[in-house]
Amino acid sequence: MSSMTSAHAPTPASDVGRGAPSGMVGRTTGDRIILGLTIALAIVMMAPLLWVVALSLKDNKELMVSMNAVFHAPYTVQNYINILATSSVFRWILNSLVVAGGLTVGTLVLSSLAGYGFARLNFPFRNVLFVIVLMGLAVPEQAVLIARHQLFSWLKLHNTYPGLILPGLSAPFGVFLMTQYFRAIPKELDEAALLDNASRFKIFWKVLLPLTLPAQATLGIFTFLGAWNDYLWPLISGTKKEMYTLTVGIASTQTNFAQSEGLGFLMSQAVFAGAPILILYLFFQKYIVTAVSGAAVR
Amino acid sequence: MTAQIEITEVTKRYGALTVLENLSLSIKANEFMVFLGPSGCGKSTLLRMIAGLESVDEGTIAINGRRIDTLPPGQRDLAMVFQSYALYPHMSVADNMAFGLKNIGVPADVIATRLSEAARMLEIGHLMERKPGQLSGGQRQRVAIGRAIVKEPKAFLFDEPLSNLDAALRVRTRVELAQLRHRVKSTMIFVTHDQIEAMTLADRVVVMNNRRIEQIGTPMDIYTRPATRFVATFVGSPTMNFLKAKMDSRDGFATLTLPDGATLQTAMRSDGLAPGAYELGIRAEAVRPARAGETVTTSGTVEVLERLGDRTLLYIRLSDGSMIVAEDAGLSRAAIGDRMELTLDGSRVHLFDGEGRAFHAVEAAHG
Repeated sequence: MSSMTSAHAPTPASDVGRGAPSGMVGRTTGDRIILGLTIALAIVMMAPLLWVVALSLKDNKELMVSMNAVFHAPYTVQNYINILATSSVFRWILNSLVVAGGLTVGTLVLSSLAGYGFARLNFPFRNVLFVIVLMGLAVPEQAVLIARHQLFSWLKLHNTYPGLILPGLSAPFGVFLMTQYFRAIPKELDEAALLDNASRFKIFWKVLLPLTLPAQATLGIFTFLGAWNDYLWPLISGTKKEMYTLTVGIASTQTNFAQSEGLGFLMSQAVFAGAPILILYLFFQKYIVTAVSGAAVR
Repeated sequence: MTAQIEITEVTKRYGALTVLENLSLSIKANEFMVFLGPSGCGKSTLLRMIAGLESVDEGTIAINGRRIDTLPPGQRDLAMVFQSYALYPHMSVADNMAFGLKNIGVPADVIATRLSEAARMLEIGHLMERKPGQLSGGQRQRVAIGRAIVKEPKAFLFDEPLSNLDAALRVRTRVELAQLRHRVKSTMIFVTHDQIEAMTLADRVVVMNNRRIEQIGTPMDIYTRPATRFVATFVGSPTMNFLKAKMDSRDGFATLTLPDGATLQTAMRSDGLAPGAYELGIRAEAVRPARAGETVTTSGTVEVLERLGDRTLLYIRLSDGSMIVAEDAGLSRAAIGDRMELTLDGSRVHLFDGEGRAFHAVEAAHG
């Protein structure tokens, strides 16, 4: 016991902070420079967002006279009321939720199955097929847009939810991410489950899939964000007003001179469209940070 | 019912590479069999073939007379403890242990009984709700063994299960495994490259090297009567001494002339041994400093001392330049540079001919 006591003896005050990795006392000049740069970058990133929010709270006519109006009262939420007065806005929100949600679920299911297949199953041309999937990463959406439009027109899928969701389900990044994640899981787990008399599907469902949750969260968040913010394909496929997604619907309410005559309204639209994403971010902050830092991929 | 395992002329290939060739082996019911050999000798592959995790290219594997190499792993009624433990990280200890039982439809009350018995036996009752990530290496090892025990399999397969433990824990777990095998009456196959694990745990040891079996025998049989030079080299620490020797027969026993001219009268019958060049094998414990009045076999200079506490190993350079390791008392007064006269025990020598065949002066303790 005496050795325990001495081992936990208080550290002399003079030693505190010497070589300490954190805390004000141990902060080095290098740390201060990094902190200063981080704050500067944060300001650069945050300023336009704050500017957008501030503009959205101003009357359009005031802003036409001078942009400096943004720095003083009165402020108004009239622009937001005008958005909500648009009869279809909640329908557009619903459309965006269905499309982004459907795309997210579909991508997770398909990417997980494909990733498991590429990582664990032996089948003819597996490596060639994997390379072909990866080549999909190099094909920009614009390059296949006309062909896709014609195909969906022929299939009569325009102005339907499947028409808005299906193109996004070809997710080479998702397949790649899940394949790499499944590959990182030790094969002994499959083997232990095989000896435990588990079927191939049970091994996938009960043993391996739960271990890929960090990757699923990463993929799910990015897929949802991408689908929510997507503009090009919904603009082409959803031509009827009731099938607009929020991004397309809000853009459709802009007048020809929106950027000069209706700046406040334009900015409130931007805030309104981005708000759900902000809420999503607040809920999944931890996973997003992990995903961006790459820590989710072991 | 425990398993009597019959492996008959089994061959395993990976493409053009043959990793096991025409290998046959019989494992008795309730036997603790250890596959011992260096990395890459095929011992783990053989175990995995028994488990069903590797296919059998040629030959058959049967348990209690029933061929099993065509069955999927889950239907062989075997349990395996992996080197990495392979516990399901997202499941609790209890769920890990119950997973296999649920898959074969064991009733919940039976599962609960088996889990509590195994938990009591392995002293892991307080860990049952924890996840593997919250356990130490030794605790994970116990859970992995527990997961195997609850299945009440015909045979247990251990694939180097102690390799990931630190030295102290490895010794403790080894002792616990030895105790466990007396409580759990079942056939056990244990793969290791650690000769101490093999010697302490096994009823019989299969020494493997380079795709084939070198020797099958009890630990003392392997140690005292190695069938080949490889076995003599691989088993025992320090490694057996090897010296070139010329053999002649005197009064029906082999007499050896060493390179430095020294002669050694052995207790080895020379019947059937052709006089000529051999390699003498002798373990360090049969080579020791000569006491006053004792016959001196040879002499040399101490180059290295290894004080192990209970004994001291002396690395001695003989006059012809060859090195021999001798054993002295723990409190040996020898020092580096000392001239040392040595006595070689002629009743504990082995001879190896040019083809690697072994001849022994001593009968095995458990032949």
